[in-house]
Amino acid sequence: MIMSVFVRQMAPMPLSAIVFLIAGLIALPLLYVTYSAITVDAAVWERLWNTRVPELALNTISLALGVALVTLCLGISTAWLLTRYTFRGRGFWEWALVLPLAIPSYVLAYVYTFLLDLGGPIERIWQALAGPEARVFSPYTFWGALLVMTLNTFPFVYLLSRSAFLTFNVSYEEAARVTGASKWRTFFFVSLPLIRPALVAGLFLVTLYVVSDFGAVSLLRFQTFTYAVYQQISGRFDYHAASALSLLLVAFAIAFLSAERWFRRKSRFYQTTGHQRPLRPFPCSSIKTTMITGYLAIVFIGAFALPTAYLAYWTVTGLSAGTVSGTFLEYLWNSLTLSATAATLALCLGTPVAYLASRYPSKWTILCLQGAYSGYVLPGPVAALALMMVFMQGVPFLYGTVVVLILAYLIHFLPAGLQAMESSLHQVAPNLEEAARSLGHRALHVFRRITFPLVRGGFFVAWMLMFIQAMKELPATLLLRPVGFDTLAVRIWLEASEELYQLAAPPALLIILVTAPIVFLLSRNHWQIS
Amino acid sequence: MQQFLCLPLAGGSTIRSFFFGVRALQRGRALNTRLNTRWMCTGVVIFWTIVIGLWAWPTASYAAESLVVYSGRAERLIKPVLDVFEDKTGITIQLLTSGSTELVNRLRIEGPNTPADVFITNDAGTLERARELRLLRPISMKEVERNIPPAFRAPDNSWIGLSGRIWVVVANTQRVQSHEISSILDVADPRWKGQLAIPNAVSEYLQAGVSVILALKGEAVAKKFLEGIKANAGNQVYSKNRQIVDAVAKGKVALGLVNHYYIYRHLAKHPQAPITPILTDQEEGGMGMIMNVAGVGVTAHAKHVDAAKRLVQFLVSQAGQRLFASLNKEYPLHPEVEADPALPPRDSFHVAQVPLTRLSELRDPTMRLIEQVGLR
Repeated sequence: MIMSVFVRQMAPMPLSAIVFLIAGLIALPLLYVTYSAITVDAAVWERLWNTRVPELALNTISLALGVALVTLCLGISTAWLLTRYTFRGRGFWEWALVLPLAIPSYVLAYVYTFLLDLGGPIERIWQALAGPEARVFSPYTFWGALLVMTLNTFPFVYLLSRSAFLTFNVSYEEAARVTGASKWRTFFFVSLPLIRPALVAGLFLVTLYVVSDFGAVSLLRFQTFTYAVYQQISGRFDYHAASALSLLLVAFAIAFLSAERWFRRKSRFYQTTGHQRPLRPFPCSSIKTTMITGYLAIVFIGAFALPTAYLAYWTVTGLSAGTVSGTFLEYLWNSLTLSATAATLALCLGTPVAYLASRYPSKWTILCLQGAYSGYVLPGPVAALALMMVFMQGVPFLYGTVVVLILAYLIHFLPAGLQAMESSLHQVAPNLEEAARSLGHRALHVFRRITFPLVRGGFFVAWMLMFIQAMKELPATLLLRPVGFDTLAVRIWLEASEELYQLAAPPALLIILVTAPIVFLLSRNHWQIS
Repeated sequence: MQQFLCLPLAGGSTIRSFFFGVRALQRGRALNTRLNTRWMCTGVVIFWTIVIGLWAWPTASYAAESLVVYSGRAERLIKPVLDVFEDKTGITIQLLTSGSTELVNRLRIEGPNTPADVFITNDAGTLERARELRLLRPISMKEVERNIPPAFRAPDNSWIGLSGRIWVVVANTQRVQSHEISSILDVADPRWKGQLAIPNAVSEYLQAGVSVILALKGEAVAKKFLEGIKANAGNQVYSKNRQIVDAVAKGKVALGLVNHYYIYRHLAKHPQAPITPILTDQEEGGMGMIMNVAGVGVTAHAKHVDAAKRLVQFLVSQAGQRLFASLNKEYPLHPEVEADPALPPRDSFHVAQVPLTRLSELRDPTMRLIEQVGLR
């Protein structure tokens, strides 16, 4: 209601100009990739179509679908157990299952290449159980990629379905049980449909994560579009093919996004309203507790404990054997400074965009917002490619400096932060600002005194989100890093590509140590309320 | 939380309620007020540390006499050599390790603004490609001409070979007699069906090897070779040479195609492993072993040419050659420097007479052939 009064006002001119510039800057790479892909020779398209595209499409789509399916099972089952049952240690598992988000996909991939390798620990255990001829699947296959990506992404589904299970109205389930439906029937026909919006949201997150992932698939040599783009840039002298493949990837991502929005619009029907009784979880017998704990432990060990333990072990043995020197502290410093700078800058640039879009929504400002969100559909190597080409032709002297890298991070991660900023601005009723304005304060002053203190928390969340993403970013950093400026992520990838597990371990452990507390804080924020 | 990895869900009540809690949303409460001032202060402190850090770092990197080296060679194989050079001369070196081709691309994009002074990589084809693109600078140094045979450097010395590796057949001694394989082409024979492990199509070594066969034996033979190894390997296609050696040592397959040093690396760890390299095509007038070199070039737009030349001088010197080659059990190219005693002596075999400079022009036809045959 308040908004409806507000929309009629025109956005202030200087602010609009600034926002337009920012959005333009962020959208530039996407426009450039599209342009250069369209101008690519038909012969290049034909060659790609005949050689690469079918395989890449099949791999990308099957991996995305496979991961979506398995994460769905894992995420729903863990969320269900942790919301509907109460048992010893529940509090621990609740936050433990979020921790896999702190492990970058390439770290998980590199630990699993070791574990699943010929003669690796898993194969040895398996052979002891099933005879000396038994083999486990190679990590360098579809199954390896599926395993790693699933373990890496299921917390998305877990968190979203958990929050949905906690907030929906239990009376529906009770009504179903009272009218004679079995436990399973109630679960599949009442509970699951009720949390469908959360599931859809989770699945789209997982799918887009899989499609845009570079680190894991490159270490597992599983050919997806994102990996192929990187190979075209780094392994050949062929930028045209790279931009053509990028465009396909971007088209894929946009199609995905539109589908997601369509689902979400439908999902409004399923919001529950009215009074609710608080959920009462069932207490468990000791046998049941053991079974549930066992299941959760397997998931947690596979996705977090085992990889982290191996990293710690390699770090310790490496340090004591002297193969690992203290130089990785320098990489830590590089990572921290770079990520913090990028996150801070993104926050500064994001603020006017988010403010304008939430206070003066019009076709024009929404367009700017969409432009700023375009980084979403640009996976790392594609953003890097676009920036390379733009800088090469525009300002070549900046190429190979930190500026390009920070810009790549900005483009890539602003959308995530923007989302948090936008929603926290939406929560501040504009009439507070209007009241301050009517008392004669200038707009900037009002923002500083009224709006900012209210959205501070949300903005800090946005900063942290962008910070940890920048810490983990790999492909753009690999392609654009300045000389002598390796980050933790780059070091991990370089050493892991050489299968130097001990050397890759300390930086990997450091990334986890830095991001895990942030992941923990971010998710706790939600738990306190529930 | 879900925005974590840059994923696209803008706005939307499901998402927001997830992130901030439904009840908070319903009560219309301001978000995250729990994130108190202390955290904000931490943020501010972090921010200023960063600003100061950013301010300090460029001055640190360009001080003193320094060299920027782009290297496509694994860091553990090059860093120790550069460290010795640093100690000896006091010139500091900044190293950027990356893929060989990626670095050529980078040099090309950076053009005259490149910070790189020296380019080191593992593949003569890539070096020659860089020369054709005028990214490297011809140098004339008597040490280079004296120490490195002309076959292993560009005619104008814009790149200089430093160490050689040979592409060999690795055989399981329990399953194969050395005389059963006399030419590298023999591994494509149908009798080895299911018995061969090969690298995947991305491998630079496979590409270089096929290029040599293409140059000396013609397209028909090269194609037949590729089809043969594809059929024989089946699904025994590996992304790492180490895995091929491993598979042969375990008897999973009888034969494999690898660079020689992987065999010795395996033998150093497992001296009893039943594997041996087979030196092929050694008969009178035979093709010879397929050899590729790692090498170095001074970039066309180097800012520190003198220091770069000193590095080259060090790398071709006896001490530098010994160090560079022995780190990876490769063959030093300096005729007076002995190879690792575990390797077959350099004069015990002859190598294919394809000028290394041709590897670059053969690259495209080779890649076409590999794609045509459908090697993965």
